[in-house]
Amino acid sequence: MPFASPFGASTAEAGHGSIELAILPPNVPVLRNLSYQYPLKLVAPDALPPPDHNGDVNVPNLVHTVFLLTYGGGIVAGDGIDLSVSLDRYTRLILLTQGSTKIFKTPDPKLVSSQHMTVRLHLGSALVYLPDPVQPFAHTSFSQSQIYHLEDVQVNLCVCDWVTSGRSARGEDWDIYEYRSRNEVWSSGKNAKKKLLLRDNLILDKHGRTDMQLSARMDNHAVFGTLIIHGPAFASLSQHFLDEFEALPRIGGRNWGDTVQPELSPKEQRRVERQEQERLNGLIWSAARVRGFVLVKFASREVEGSRHWLRDMIYEEKSVLDQFGERAVLCLK
Amino acid sequence: MTTGLEAEIAELEIRLHHARSRLGASEASSNASLPQPSTLGKDETPCPCPLPTNASLHALLLLSDSALPLGSFAFSSGLESYLAHQKLQASGSTPASSASGIPSFFAFLQLSLSTLAGTALPYVLAGYRHPERIEELDNDFDASTPCTVARRASVAQGRALLTVWERSYRAEYMHVHMDDCMDKQAEQRAADVLSAFSKQIRTSDEVHAHLAPLWGVVTRALAVPLQDAAYLFLFSHARTITSAAVRASVMGPYQAQAVLAGSDLQRRIGGLVQDGWDTRIEDAGQSVPVMDLWVGRHEKLYSRIFNS
Repeated sequence: MPFASPFGASTAEAGHGSIELAILPPNVPVLRNLSYQYPLKLVAPDALPPPDHNGDVNVPNLVHTVFLLTYGGGIVAGDGIDLSVSLDRYTRLILLTQGSTKIFKTPDPKLVSSQHMTVRLHLGSALVYLPDPVQPFAHTSFSQSQIYHLEDVQVNLCVCDWVTSGRSARGEDWDIYEYRSRNEVWSSGKNAKKKLLLRDNLILDKHGRTDMQLSARMDNHAVFGTLIIHGPAFASLSQHFLDEFEALPRIGGRNWGDTVQPELSPKEQRRVERQEQERLNGLIWSAARVRGFVLVKFASREVEGSRHWLRDMIYEEKSVLDQFGERAVLCLK
Repeated sequence: MTTGLEAEIAELEIRLHHARSRLGASEASSNASLPQPSTLGKDETPCPCPLPTNASLHALLLLSDSALPLGSFAFSSGLESYLAHQKLQASGSTPASSASGIPSFFAFLQLSLSTLAGTALPYVLAGYRHPERIEELDNDFDASTPCTVARRASVAQGRALLTVWERSYRAEYMHVHMDDCMDKQAEQRAADVLSAFSKQIRTSDEVHAHLAPLWGVVTRALAVPLQDAAYLFLFSHARTITSAAVRASVMGPYQAQAVLAGSDLQRRIGGLVQDGWDTRIEDAGQSVPVMDLWVGRHEKLYSRIFNS
């Protein structure tokens, strides 16, 4: 075994960072490495025990949290961020942001700022990454990628990627040069051949091979998001999204007033209220089981509509809060 | 060449249809399809010009034939859902009149073509250029398809295309063009790949048979030039949507033909093929995010006449 420095590796390259969550036997997860370089900044508050921890030695007794920050609260033209994250067996990590990731104006459309994250997850580990949305201002070029490598099938993911139309208060409405976001999940176990499990690639460029302005292509929506859920720890959350999608009222259906309204259970009552909120916020969404994942897509007229909806969905089902605590949904408040 | 071709196809398609219905299954080559005067109407005179003997054109006509049993017309690729969503947005302001369907249809056609060119076209091109990579292409396309509805449509048509190849084209194209084509080895390889792939589909559940990559391999095996294969892929999609629009009472059949004949559509498809020519499959992606929602929410429609 090579000598492991107690000081952790220093990454000299600008924008590079690394988060390494390891298990100290028998079951104590520790942040073995947390390093970063300007303009990236990582902040790790004290890890908290998960609310559902029952003393089982196979379940780690701490959930770690890391905030992904940038100096100045955003990404300046030409910035490049490159973060690698590694989760040891049975560790749990929450990644958060502090406010939306602002993308600042670029002097040249060809000068693309970027943010890349590679996450390696080992057997039984779990990642919750529910950040604030990316907010590209007018005249920006930005490209990001989130690549997840699963070392085992039994790996848990609940990650969201969402983007807004800019500073709507200043009248910005998708006035960007270019925005790309790629989410990929690969299976890369030691013995198995590397295989693509899921790819979600969003490309918003000026005309997108139509003659239509970006804003016209977005059909009056100011937010688009994708939520990717995978693994046994989130099985009930996945099912919750699928069930709620199934329970959505039919589009174009009519109430003829000839059916007796049954007495609603508290859960059904909350569902009706949420659906009414969806209607008011112009929020539309879909959920589908795709190759062992549940893929949720959503869009709404304003950012807060999507934020509230996500929060309501996750709070209603509770399993994320039970396993990770309230911190997991900090960005949705 | 491709732009002029469409008008020609439309014209030839009808003639081919008549001619083919009279052809015995064993008769193979195209010069046998000269119309026989005895079966024509009394007033008509037999066409003096023989059908072209260009093999790739013949294959192109086969694939562009609306009788090609892919079941494409069962799908609206989100048009039905889109129209329902537009109605939903409009309700409250002005009641949706029947006339307002047309501009929304044009917008949808544009968005849908651009989506297909962004997500599927790179796989058509890759399938054609590297038939031996079909398994990987099929897997990656499956991984990139975000919803059940779109997957169902793509797999249904892909499997149907594979069946048509197996049952109808294979015997013909495995040997016919061996002699006259300099690129014959590549075509033979593509044909071999298809045979192996359709065996695999029966044994492995990891194989899906999505339309886009298979379209590339089949057109390669049929020796259709790549540019035409890509053009036809997008054109067929436009035709399917337009046909869906007719059946959804958005427009009449003559208007639909006018859309398909329009130089606007020709230019657009040509441009999309050109734009996507060098796009790697890794960079295939969605440029109209709301399209995924329209397609994905199709199953939430109160009434449906299409499968997607």
